[in-house]
Amino acid sequence: MEMDVLLEVNNLIKYFPITSGLFLQRVIAQVKAVDGVSFALSKGETLGLVGESGCGKTTVGRSILQLYRPTAGQVIFQGKDLCRLSEKELRPLRQKLQIIFQDPYDSLDPRLTAEDIIGEPMRIQGTIRGRAYRERVAELLNIVGLAPYMAELYPHEFSGGQRQRVGVARALALEPSFIVCDEPVSALDVSIQAQIINLLDDLQQQFSIAYLFIAHDLSVVRHISDRVAVMYLGKIIELCDRDELYKNPLHPYTRALLSAVPIPDPLVEEQRAPIILKGEVPSPINPPSGCPFHPRCFSAFEPCPTVVPEFADVGGGHLVSCLLYPPSWPQSRTEG
Amino acid sequence: MSALLEVRNLSTYFYTQDGVIKAVDGVSYEVARGETIALVGESGCGKTVSGLSILRLIPEPPGKIVSGEIIFDGVNLLELSKDDMREIRGAKISMIFQEPMTSLNPVLTVGRQISEALETHLRMGRQEAHQEAVRLLELVGIPHPERRAKDYPHHFSGGMRQRVGIAMAISCHPQLIIADEPTTALDVTIQAQLLELLRSITKELGTALILITHNLGIVARYARRVYVMYAGRIVEHGPAVAVYHDARHPYTVGLLTSVPRLDEERKTRLVPIEGQPPDLLYPPQGCPFYPRCSHAGTCELEEGKELVEVAPGHYSACWVAQRGLTPWKWTSS
Amino acid sequence: MAVAVETLRAHHTLWGDAFIRLRRNRLAVAGVIVIILLTLGAIIQPLFSPYGFAKQDLYSILQGPSRAHPLGTDELGRDVFTRLMAGCRTSLAVGIFTQVIVVLIGLPIGAFAASMGGRVDNLLMRFVDVMYAFPDILLIILLRSIFGGSIYMIFLAIGLVAWVNVSRLTRGQILSLKERDFVTAARAMGARGIYTTLRHLLPHALGPIIVAVTFNVPRAIFAEAALSYIGIGVKPPTPSWGTMIRDGYDLIFAAPYLVTFPALAIGILMLSFTFLGDGLRDALDPRLRR
Repeated sequence: MEMDVLLEVNNLIKYFPITSGLFLQRVIAQVKAVDGVSFALSKGETLGLVGESGCGKTTVGRSILQLYRPTAGQVIFQGKDLCRLSEKELRPLRQKLQIIFQDPYDSLDPRLTAEDIIGEPMRIQGTIRGRAYRERVAELLNIVGLAPYMAELYPHEFSGGQRQRVGVARALALEPSFIVCDEPVSALDVSIQAQIINLLDDLQQQFSIAYLFIAHDLSVVRHISDRVAVMYLGKIIELCDRDELYKNPLHPYTRALLSAVPIPDPLVEEQRAPIILKGEVPSPINPPSGCPFHPRCFSAFEPCPTVVPEFADVGGGHLVSCLLYPPSWPQSRTEG
Repeated sequence: MSALLEVRNLSTYFYTQDGVIKAVDGVSYEVARGETIALVGESGCGKTVSGLSILRLIPEPPGKIVSGEIIFDGVNLLELSKDDMREIRGAKISMIFQEPMTSLNPVLTVGRQISEALETHLRMGRQEAHQEAVRLLELVGIPHPERRAKDYPHHFSGGMRQRVGIAMAISCHPQLIIADEPTTALDVTIQAQLLELLRSITKELGTALILITHNLGIVARYARRVYVMYAGRIVEHGPAVAVYHDARHPYTVGLLTSVPRLDEERKTRLVPIEGQPPDLLYPPQGCPFYPRCSHAGTCELEEGKELVEVAPGHYSACWVAQRGLTPWKWTSS
Repeated sequence: MAVAVETLRAHHTLWGDAFIRLRRNRLAVAGVIVIILLTLGAIIQPLFSPYGFAKQDLYSILQGPSRAHPLGTDELGRDVFTRLMAGCRTSLAVGIFTQVIVVLIGLPIGAFAASMGGRVDNLLMRFVDVMYAFPDILLIILLRSIFGGSIYMIFLAIGLVAWVNVSRLTRGQILSLKERDFVTAARAMGARGIYTTLRHLLPHALGPIIVAVTFNVPRAIFAEAALSYIGIGVKPPTPSWGTMIRDGYDLIFAAPYLVTFPALAIGILMLSFTFLGDGLRDALDPRLRR
């Protein structure tokens, strides 16, 4: 894994205001969708971002790409802070920063043919035209495993998996170095998911693309990622290497999450029992005080409702934000 | 002991403008009292339609239960009158749906919806039914049940609504619950809460459960026996351990190798099933999986309709497996 | 690694698919046929008729339908059939040209409001609300008294009061589409606002707009007839069904056909457009597709 950092996200914050009033819209509350997210991504690396609904993972992806303008924070790419750039200045950079969406039925304009859809980035950016354009579209179709005649078909004539391939082809059009994969396989059938996951894997090998892979399915995330970040209520509460996450999860939420994911093997399952969390995910408008997870935490102790834990490295690149593991926590991890 | 529910050779077709869709085509399965079985398959395989057929909830037109028998506690449900069927629905057999928002009536309070069923089926009085409804809400883990019984469905979150759905399903002490993708729309920790709840309730009440899902993990965790469906037919069935560890149909094998496992040691490459699920308007003849099967070389196209026992209690529709061969084991690690 | 798939279903463009579905709707097809027949009649008949629509023949007043006059004559001996067809021209012209004005004004306003959002949207919509609340008849009377009773004035008057609905519809359509993923995808590629609106949003909004316009036509036709009936529509000698009804009303017991035929004509033309509108709405609804 190369160590050259491609993308650096520092304390990204995105709040959505809730307004009320007829003419003068007053802000009465904020939805704290993303509340201080930081990480670095290297070239060709996959960072998995996992969490349940309302944790803010989709907002993180879109905020990094400036599709939502962040409320605060920095996104450093090619030496520039994207948050400080105007839309005009961002435009040329957008060739290298792309996104693949979850819903294959919604992310393609149903009135355009596959060719139009895949070629749109080139048309918008104006970089490739004429014969080179047509050749590139044909090449992209081939890269994602679609037959050439499919260029003239409309989205409704494709299956879900094929539509997703069109979406991937579109994202690849201008040779991006970073792609946000926003739940790219959640809406697909099980047997098709594997095809798309393999496709994404192969493309990464071939073109050295870095992925931010956002999903709620921990099995898929663990499979495709090099490192995994777990989000809860707008914050990353744990970030570490994929194997480390499974073998040695530190944060209680991570442990509950892992235990809740069923494994397709009855013999293994016989030995497991899910940790059942109490209650539901609180609203991001009014997150709990102190550690956001404390009301549901089975290991919560005295300082948890009042002290906000630091997100810090507890050894070997394993970052966690939990008062059970203060930054000065010793290397030897023997747990009860 | 005879089975509680026996579905024999069920076929449900949909007659559309474009042609006939054979959603369920000659499907048989059974559930014993108190047993939990799973119907697993991807979208379009017919698992949901077969569940709806049991309760005769198929819209006619365009659907029609064309043939077969559904024997419940000795009675063929397909021969019952509409009134008799209504007695069964909700009382002896109940259903939990995937989308809790659409299966709950938005203009009735949650308490009322539950008590309605109790009044109708168990002939309880208003007061008694209301109290029982509150008790049920508490049983399924809804905090402050007395107060929340007066709330409407949109006041609840998805997980809570599904709990209400469970409460409704168990309210009349049914002998069988059909759960159609009950947790697909929910987060994984909520899913765990609900399925554990369902497991403990069915154990306590002795209710049989048909779990319809596409999630192989859920099946492994909760079902004793598994029926694998593809293109409207059952291609393999047997005890869960046997089906997972000694799969005897290339589709099952394909599913198992294409699904990422949380506990995989190092990053293993997924082996997807090539191609697309079949278009049910033009289903393949003979074995429905033949066009996508990577072991098709050894097979006869015309076969693949009959399920044959290939190991004790373990049945497969695969021509190759029926001859005792398992070529998928030779190629996979 | 190519995945070969056969498309077993026929390949249609979206408009092609809508057209096929429209064809299947018998009422809509009947509506179209009637409209075409009436249009042809309106164009051709007055050219070939032995009578001009204003030609009086005081020797043949108030004659019922006969071989010479298929629909009879009125109190000035004018041939009713010719007048009916001539009035059809007026009605059709009003129906179509008012909608041109409606679309030219309503669509850009709605699209602009939706695209800009925020305060601009707010202001524009309040303006639209005011226009909507403004009494139509008053505006028409006002315009009529200033500009006279030519048919162009009628186009303008009816158009000016009817554009509001289309602007609201356009705005609603575009607002609901703005958050769709394919629009976000275009932004992610660096598309400017105008490009997105023209290439992605408006084509989608076209469907409901076409349907709304089709339903507006019979309302415009009726509006013109009603205005002419009460005397503030087109000025004679421009033919109009409304005027015919008003003139024939006094003789309704003596010669009922003078009122019946124009009234029937109005009803049939309006109904035809309504059937067509219904059919278009079903044909263009993407959810009903397969």
